[in-house]
Amino acid sequence: MRPLNWQKELGREGHRVKFSGQPVAMHCHHYHINLQKTLEETLGKQGIRLLYQSAEEAIFENFTNILRQYKSIKTEKSKFEMAALVFQNSGMGIIRLQEVGPEGGLFMSPSNHHVTGWLAKHGMRDTPGCHFVRGWIAGILEAIYDRPLGYYAVEERQCKMMRKKECVFVVKVR
Amino acid sequence: MTIDGNKIIHAVMEGSQIRESKGIIPLFGVYLSIFPINYYNKLSYEFEKMLKERQSEAETLLVRAAQECGYATFQGVRNSWEWEEIVKPMIDRKEDQIEGFSAVAFAFGWGDLKVKKLVPEETLVIQASGSYEASGYLDQYGKAPSGKCYMLRGVTGALMDLLYGEDYPEGCFTFSAEEHLCRAKGDEYCEFVARKSSD
Repeated sequence: MRPLNWQKELGREGHRVKFSGQPVAMHCHHYHINLQKTLEETLGKQGIRLLYQSAEEAIFENFTNILRQYKSIKTEKSKFEMAALVFQNSGMGIIRLQEVGPEGGLFMSPSNHHVTGWLAKHGMRDTPGCHFVRGWIAGILEAIYDRPLGYYAVEERQCKMMRKKECVFVVKVR
Repeated sequence: MTIDGNKIIHAVMEGSQIRESKGIIPLFGVYLSIFPINYYNKLSYEFEKMLKERQSEAETLLVRAAQECGYATFQGVRNSWEWEEIVKPMIDRKEDQIEGFSAVAFAFGWGDLKVKKLVPEETLVIQASGSYEASGYLDQYGKAPSGKCYMLRGVTGALMDLLYGEDYPEGCFTFSAEEHLCRAKGDEYCEFVARKSSD
């Protein structure tokens, strides 16, 4: 696999920051967690769905574009490795997969930006809270397997925001 | 001394290459991450749409979320070792901090913020001709009836809170900002004006 050249991929055009030619912004946990809390408190399940779908859509577009640029990456394994690398290099955390295929599978995250941010700002919570990561997983799978948005459903079975050892995500076809 | 934005951009671009073992980017005193801007724009404007007739409530909530974020973020930024080493030597007076904060926001890709006017304790005027919020709104929804840069509006208020509000963490929302000019509604640039909050 041609390694992701992070220094080349992350660049600037004046005030704009781009990753792999697509506009990105650097924000910290304060903003992400405030947005999440605002949406959860105001809209409940609808807000959670919006957090999930926004991540799914943005990541699908972003990763489809990366795959187009790195055409030498052909195998599923390499594509997932690339995705995990992007996750880590973007400061989103660590993600690992287990038995993942076109019908779904299992992902684990021993550490991620939203967990660190939520715990730092609000401490433990009673419900799983990695809505962004769920959407990220859905978007990545849909990009890798060339499926439409909404094809996969990702559930967080275990969350570090609830003081579990790691976050565990189960993916199924809707 | 004038704030050299290039030094700050360099520090951010170099610093954002460093990840600790948990995949987190600790930079300028905060946990930084790099997300596609479409994510933020979809969240904000779909949230607004979902609240329908409560649209002004959505606007208030999004601005407040950003202001509280800007307040905590730039408090972290100005207490970081990067600020101490890179930005502080360029600061002669308290007001220069605003230029330093704007340069950090520029480096983070939030927009080409320019401080147009600062009346200590009273008013801050910031202009941006490349806000990703305005561009994103125009691309997705067309011309807007009102200003759409909720994040930058909240951040403008936060910068004044940090300089002239009570000591952290008591000073948030001492100021509030309005956006009378916005590219999303057809203006040439976006302009944010922060003044003391009325309530």
